[in-house]
Amino acid sequence: MKTLALFTIFVLIFGTASLANDAYAQNDPNILLRIAEQADKQISKQLERSYGDSIPSDIRSLFLQGHAAVESLEKSLPDDVEQARNDFLTAMKSFKQISKMISEPAEKAAASKLTSAVDRDLSSELDRLEKHVENLKTISEKQNTKITFEEIDYLIGEAQNQIKDGTATPETINELKHLVDSIQKEISKSSSHSASDRIKQFVEEQLEIIDRKLTKASDAGADVTQIDNARDKISEIRSLIEESNIGNAKIVFNELNKLVKNIERSVR
Amino acid sequence: MNPEIVPTHRKESLGEDGMLFVRTEGIVDTMVKIPLLVASMIIAAAMMPIQPSFSSPRTLDLIIYPDGLTHISTEIDVDPFVTDYELDLFGSTIDNFVAVGENGFLLTADVVGNFALIETFGSSVISVEYDIHDLVSKQGRVWTFSLDAPSDFTLLLPKNSAIVGMANLPINMEIIDDKNQLTLSNGQAEINYLFSTNSIIPGPVDPVNPASAPDYLPYALIAGAVSAAAIGTAAVIRSKRKIVKPIQDKQSTQTIQKTETVDAETIFKLNPDIREDDKEIVKFISDNGGQALESELRKKFLQPRTTMWRAVKRLERNEIIEIEKKDLQNLVKLRKNVEKEE
Repeated sequence: MKTLALFTIFVLIFGTASLANDAYAQNDPNILLRIAEQADKQISKQLERSYGDSIPSDIRSLFLQGHAAVESLEKSLPDDVEQARNDFLTAMKSFKQISKMISEPAEKAAASKLTSAVDRDLSSELDRLEKHVENLKTISEKQNTKITFEEIDYLIGEAQNQIKDGTATPETINELKHLVDSIQKEISKSSSHSASDRIKQFVEEQLEIIDRKLTKASDAGADVTQIDNARDKISEIRSLIEESNIGNAKIVFNELNKLVKNIERSVR
Repeated sequence: MNPEIVPTHRKESLGEDGMLFVRTEGIVDTMVKIPLLVASMIIAAAMMPIQPSFSSPRTLDLIIYPDGLTHISTEIDVDPFVTDYELDLFGSTIDNFVAVGENGFLLTADVVGNFALIETFGSSVISVEYDIHDLVSKQGRVWTFSLDAPSDFTLLLPKNSAIVGMANLPINMEIIDDKNQLTLSNGQAEINYLFSTNSIIPGPVDPVNPASAPDYLPYALIAGAVSAAAIGTAAVIRSKRKIVKPIQDKQSTQTIQKTETVDAETIFKLNPDIREDDKEIVKFISDNGGQALESELRKKFLQPRTTMWRAVKRLERNEIIEIEKKDLQNLVKLRKNVEKEE
């Protein structure tokens, strides 16, 4: 009976583990084939562009290896998913090596450096700014700040037109960025009132919880000096919050949390 | 003999019919039930979706832009009982950072190096968005995205990009607005891709046979030549139409100018509080036949775009001018009804 029970347990556990493995797998293994085929075709184009008919033998050999893996991948599907995965990784490894070999190593540069140089992609920068502005609009509406986005919308429209015409300059984007920053600051300023109400409410709730913990610890025989010290800190936090001195209130609050943890540990 | 040391259950089990029943119950309790219970719990735990713990992203979505910058959107569970949350960023070059609490309010955050200190104050979920420069690098024509992801994530590649290397198996791939979106599992991920402003992504075709590719070249050249000729003819016809249209517009505009131009002095009399710099603008528009493009005003007065835009909006508010859109530009016109009000 015991053996049977243990056997059942093992079957169930390992059965579940294999289910979990399948859950990790691709939703549709054909995705692997699509990606590998795309890469295969792209590398073929690149080779033709770079070398024409005189592809170096090491690169040709790598390409044939990758291409063979893609063919094998196609044959493996849909039945042998495990083989398909191996073929995919083999193919992509070969294609990655080829693409690195046909690239100019001297041009290695981080994207951050590219953007600060002359060839800034103003269109991408504008897209990101638009996305950021949309975020700020949502926040502004939520906080009911009444900040108008008329000017920024207008400037975005102008920048879009300039990009279409090919007359956009980095200054256009810089000007926009400057305006977006000032709007974000305005939102932060206008949200500070509601934030301080939220902080007050949060701290008051936490202080009540801590107060109850201290009473419990005191009943359990915790050190009176430490309890008094904690209660002093609670008073200090309340007065700091009243003065809207959030920064210092946070520091004392963190000290209080540590102290309460020590007190609780001492009575366990 | 001490009667207390006799086990009670043993006493009971000595009954005629109860012995077998009592023994079976004991076996089930000690040998089967507990392991089964433990096993069931293990299985249940394995089957249940893993609950996200504090500080682990609920969602993580990345968008790579054509210039290699990456936009990150993430939702994170945080401890509502602490005041701050320290978020590890995926790099140190950050733009457009925004952290929002669960109620949609902007949270105060300080971005320092590779992390952001966010004042959460009671929020249990925060949404964070930012742009980062550090995830994509370029070597020659090959762009490489790499990330050690704390959770599964989606990655939207730029339009006209083609993946040419992957060290991981993707969980899923979708096409969104002609862009590849991959879903990848947590851990180290590296993707190499080529990107071009021209369309380079091959369509859903049969696997490439490099040897046969040149066979199609003559047909492709003929097709290309025919297409180019057709496009060229269309462009010539369109450009001819474009040349005709502005002449017609100009004629009608000139008619309006002659009949409805408003005198600048009249406007100044009606608006004695008008600013001196605004007067200059009005005078220029008036001298220009009552209308001017905003870009012309900027060139004339050498003003930045925002300054001129504010001036124009001020004049519009004072009902001195009106703004019309013309060929995607702002046409600033003196209002016709100014004289009528006089």
